[in-house]
Amino acid sequence: MNRRGKLALGVLSAIHAAAGFAGFLAPYEPSTQHREHALAAPTRIVLRGLTVTAVLPAPGGTSEFPVRWLRRTEDGWHLFTVDEPGKIFLLGTDSLGRDQWSRLLHGARISLFSGVLAALLAGLIGTVLGLLAGYYSGWCDRVVTQVGDIFLALPWLYLLLGARAALPLDASPLVVLSGLLAVMGIAGWPRPARLVRGMALSLRERHYVMAARGFGAGHTYILTRHILPPVWPAVAEFVCLAIPQFVMAEVTLSFLGLGLSEPAASWGTMLAAFARLDAMTGAPWLAAPAAALALVSLCYRGLLSSGTRRGGGEPERG
Amino acid sequence: MGEILKAFIAAGALLSLAPPAAAREPRGAKLVVGQRGEPRSFNPVVEIDEPTRIVNSLLHSTLARTDPVSRRLEPALAESWKKSGDGRRILVRLKPGLRFSDGRPLTAADVAFSFEVFQDEKIAAPQREVLVLNGKSVSVRMLDDRSVALDLAFPTALGERMLEAIPILPRHRLEEPFRQGRLRQVWGNNASPSEVAGAGPFQIGRIEPGRRLALMRNPNYWRRGKDGRALPYLDEIEFVFAPSEDSLVARLLGGEIDLVAGLGSGSFASLKKAGNAQHLSPLDLGPSLDYTFLLFNLNRSSPAAGQLKRRLEWFSDARFRRALSLTVDREAIVRLVYRGHATALWGHVTPARGPWFDPSLPRPAPSLTKARRLLRDAGYGWDGGGNLVDRSGAPVEFTIAASSSNPAYTQTAAILQEDFKKLGIGARTVSLEFRSLLDRVTVKKDYDLAVMALRPGEPDPAADMNVLLSSGKAHLWNLGGPPHDWEIEVDDLMRRQLTATDGRKRVELFHKVQQILASQAPIVSLASPNVLIAGPRGLAGVVAIAGGHPALSNADSLYWVRNDAGASDRSER
Amino acid sequence: MRFLLTRALRGAGLVAAVAVLGFLMMEAAPGDFLTDLRSSPGIPTATVEQMQRDSSLDRPVWSRLVSWIRSLLSGDLGVSLIWHRPVADLVWPRACNTALLSLTGLSGAWLVGVPLAALSAARSGSWVSRAASLLVSALVALPDLLVALLVLLTAVSTRWIPVSGSLAGAGFALALIALPAVYRHTYSSMRMAMGEPFVESARAHGLPPVRVWTGHILPAAAGPLISLLGLSFSSLLSASLLVEVVLGWPGLGPLLLEAVAARDQHVVLAGVVLSAGLLAAASLLIDLLLVLCDPRIRRDGL
Repeated sequence: MNRRGKLALGVLSAIHAAAGFAGFLAPYEPSTQHREHALAAPTRIVLRGLTVTAVLPAPGGTSEFPVRWLRRTEDGWHLFTVDEPGKIFLLGTDSLGRDQWSRLLHGARISLFSGVLAALLAGLIGTVLGLLAGYYSGWCDRVVTQVGDIFLALPWLYLLLGARAALPLDASPLVVLSGLLAVMGIAGWPRPARLVRGMALSLRERHYVMAARGFGAGHTYILTRHILPPVWPAVAEFVCLAIPQFVMAEVTLSFLGLGLSEPAASWGTMLAAFARLDAMTGAPWLAAPAAALALVSLCYRGLLSSGTRRGGGEPERG
Repeated sequence: MGEILKAFIAAGALLSLAPPAAAREPRGAKLVVGQRGEPRSFNPVVEIDEPTRIVNSLLHSTLARTDPVSRRLEPALAESWKKSGDGRRILVRLKPGLRFSDGRPLTAADVAFSFEVFQDEKIAAPQREVLVLNGKSVSVRMLDDRSVALDLAFPTALGERMLEAIPILPRHRLEEPFRQGRLRQVWGNNASPSEVAGAGPFQIGRIEPGRRLALMRNPNYWRRGKDGRALPYLDEIEFVFAPSEDSLVARLLGGEIDLVAGLGSGSFASLKKAGNAQHLSPLDLGPSLDYTFLLFNLNRSSPAAGQLKRRLEWFSDARFRRALSLTVDREAIVRLVYRGHATALWGHVTPARGPWFDPSLPRPAPSLTKARRLLRDAGYGWDGGGNLVDRSGAPVEFTIAASSSNPAYTQTAAILQEDFKKLGIGARTVSLEFRSLLDRVTVKKDYDLAVMALRPGEPDPAADMNVLLSSGKAHLWNLGGPPHDWEIEVDDLMRRQLTATDGRKRVELFHKVQQILASQAPIVSLASPNVLIAGPRGLAGVVAIAGGHPALSNADSLYWVRNDAGASDRSER
Repeated sequence: MRFLLTRALRGAGLVAAVAVLGFLMMEAAPGDFLTDLRSSPGIPTATVEQMQRDSSLDRPVWSRLVSWIRSLLSGDLGVSLIWHRPVADLVWPRACNTALLSLTGLSGAWLVGVPLAALSAARSGSWVSRAASLLVSALVALPDLLVALLVLLTAVSTRWIPVSGSLAGAGFALALIALPAVYRHTYSSMRMAMGEPFVESARAHGLPPVRVWTGHILPAAAGPLISLLGLSFSSLLSASLLVEVVLGWPGLGPLLLEAVAARDQHVVLAGVVLSAGLLAAASLLIDLLLVLCDPRIRRDGL
């Protein structure tokens, strides 16, 4: 893996680790509303001698609060906090006064995890069906391809609405999101299936496969020993590509007002709050999840292109 | 009396969006109004949505109208009317020389025809509810060319409301489709402009489906301005339809549109900030008729089991509900969700409803101590971790459902969630797509609490019948189930105010209803979003009236004023 | 010929299946068009019932499915419940708008992407090629929605393009989204064509470079480019929906979203069937073009 790939992997690991330690890295709970500080800009941080200080606007000027490191509050340990009535909003607050940095970290869990889940599901189902279609060919192939085309053309919005309605009302946002992205993942199998099918078709005609058949090898043996191994990297590549796409799917759905996650902190709902005229002009710090999303996307791409591709032969977007 | 006057003034300010001393030379001109929805039809019989209602109010006239300035019911197409001694008959005399926009005369025959159409069962017009009270319809007889007699089944103060609610339709155009049973299908939004005739201030000029609708002045309009000139002053009102509020704001700032009403607080805030938009004047006109509320699931008809059953038991105690009401920080909702452009509510009747609003209702500030006391009385307690537990020791947890169609609802639910946490309640907000939420609340009745909003069509309590009557289709907290005792009492009071003949008695009865609702709290009223409009400087004569379009209720008297540069004095309230 | 016929039949089968399944999926979603009217205090129950009869929502599912299919086969797309107009009248201008947007976006992407890719392929390793591939990598990493939001942000803060409802803004965003794919495909097919033996021999014959390019490389690269047209069509459709919603372009996207939210059956189904039909037609066209352009396929079969 070249330098670019290592860098991408490093950044991705850092982001996922940060999401994992969200409670520690965030000074506040994602749902806590600091109602006196709605739509506050990011807090100014200055260095006073050797102490990192937060500077907050106060009547008649500013007031300063030193940053406390490694403190324990009622909800656990935090890397950094500020004594009340001071506040430290690294990325500002939203209209209900919720700290955006805390929401970004906690939201990463939901968004990243569900993206992985959906991509894995799509990859798994797609691999199985693609293998069946490409290897066995004939009517199996025709059925799988035709059904795949139908899946691609169906209006999934409705199924999602129905699925959301079928879930119990008090399911946690994580369960809801997982459920919905599971549906989307299951619905997403045609793309990897096509890819795997193509590969299986051509691999089947290879000499060593024919030779193995000649020796009396069973289908399962051939599939696992000869077809699958070259297929895995392609599927892995698909999954890598698909993860940010499914993360975006969650973002897009929330953005389109299907409201699948609010008020839980997910990058999708945070972005939906930003994508309005008054927020874009008045509170630009709300765009943080967009930057985070772009970063994650870039990293996954970087990971891929550090692989063996000759460059330029990438599978389609979308 | 002073109270009522103050309430009237508070309900809708007289605005002049132009310098008072500027040259007041009413000249004809065009007003471009932007809105999101376009009318489904130009047929008043199928008027179920707001945009259709707005356009139809400009195309047709009624026998009487509430004057936006004096707020009294005044003759419109009618010259005068007289109620008989027993209150069961109203004699209406039409003005002489009335004509429709196509030049044909408007006579008593058209009035009789209109009343017949709107009462017809097969037509099932929404306005039928105004005419058919307690199941009894109104009989209308032509006395002569200019007089009709309305015979009511029983004397009621709502008789005059009929004069205001029924647009007079041209018999010469609509009688044939009506007799053939296809009246509902005519005058759709693909009609040709010359097909539609009405007695309103404007008539249809150009229709561009999906993009714009131009209404031109009706030269045969009956009304004259105070200066004796024929109204309307404006030559044309053009409606421009845009897909979203953001695009409306963009076009406002770009000068493509003059006026937008019904803005959200976010758009309003960004319009106010665009201080360099010299030609715009964003205005907050005070509380609307709408009310946002927290709904409790008090349904007794659905077979609840297990967890839901236990939660329903909590909700069924009025003390529990009142305790929650005492915890809600309404000021935070007004400030954070609506950026200050809302009015806190402690009852579903907003101050915009004038005398119907009961000013004596208590408006307590949030008090955790009082709430805790109420809960203790009701048998609740707190465990070691500070969580609220019921008699059996089960922690109190429930979901608050909110519609995702409007971020205000989910944000309100988020605020409520945090407020209830202070009592030790584990509340969780769940956002659902609008229709899914409605389906859950009205059909499946499978929910705990829900944040919802309703919009009465007019200030009169008759607009609340469907909500407050236990048999009503919008009686959301207990749909179709056996009513509680206090609901039976409310039913009785509402029916009595419908048939009362004295206006003051009606007010008294309706105030009593509000007091019962305050003590039983089936819903916790939260806030009423204010009416927000952005209009052009230089437009005069705008008067807001509760229930109508905030800027077009007085459309026939709007005019442009020459605005000299430098004259920046504006009177606005 | 027979091959094309079977493909056409498959396409028709696809559209039929999508139509029926789409209809059933609509039924699965909770609530219908009249849900909010049913609980609206201002609309009497009798009015709602009458509307139910008008829109035949009172008939059972299978009956409505059958009559919808029948009307579809006779070319009648039904009447919209929200806008109260024939669906065809509603969908046609919107579809044209979307087509216009897609064309604008695609042409923008091609006008910039193809020359850029050709240049990079010809001078690989130069700063042009490196800068181009950097730009494209950045663009491809950004999800569609973010690109659209970025364009909106630019419009709002700089006012170089109108904020909402203009073809310039929406077209620009779509071109940015489509650019990476165009660039990459062109680049790789050029490189592949450049390495072909007949190019080598053309060069060896002493043909000027321009002739080599126009006469040999470009035509060879045309095949994959045409299949790119087909592949990018479907992803362009979903990207254009986002761009239309974010930048206020009155295309099919916002129409369908609103119809979905309001459960306006006929509009949604018309949209679904239309896009499935377009997909099927596009893939048929692509196959046709491929057969015409590449004699090898004609000889060996697809």
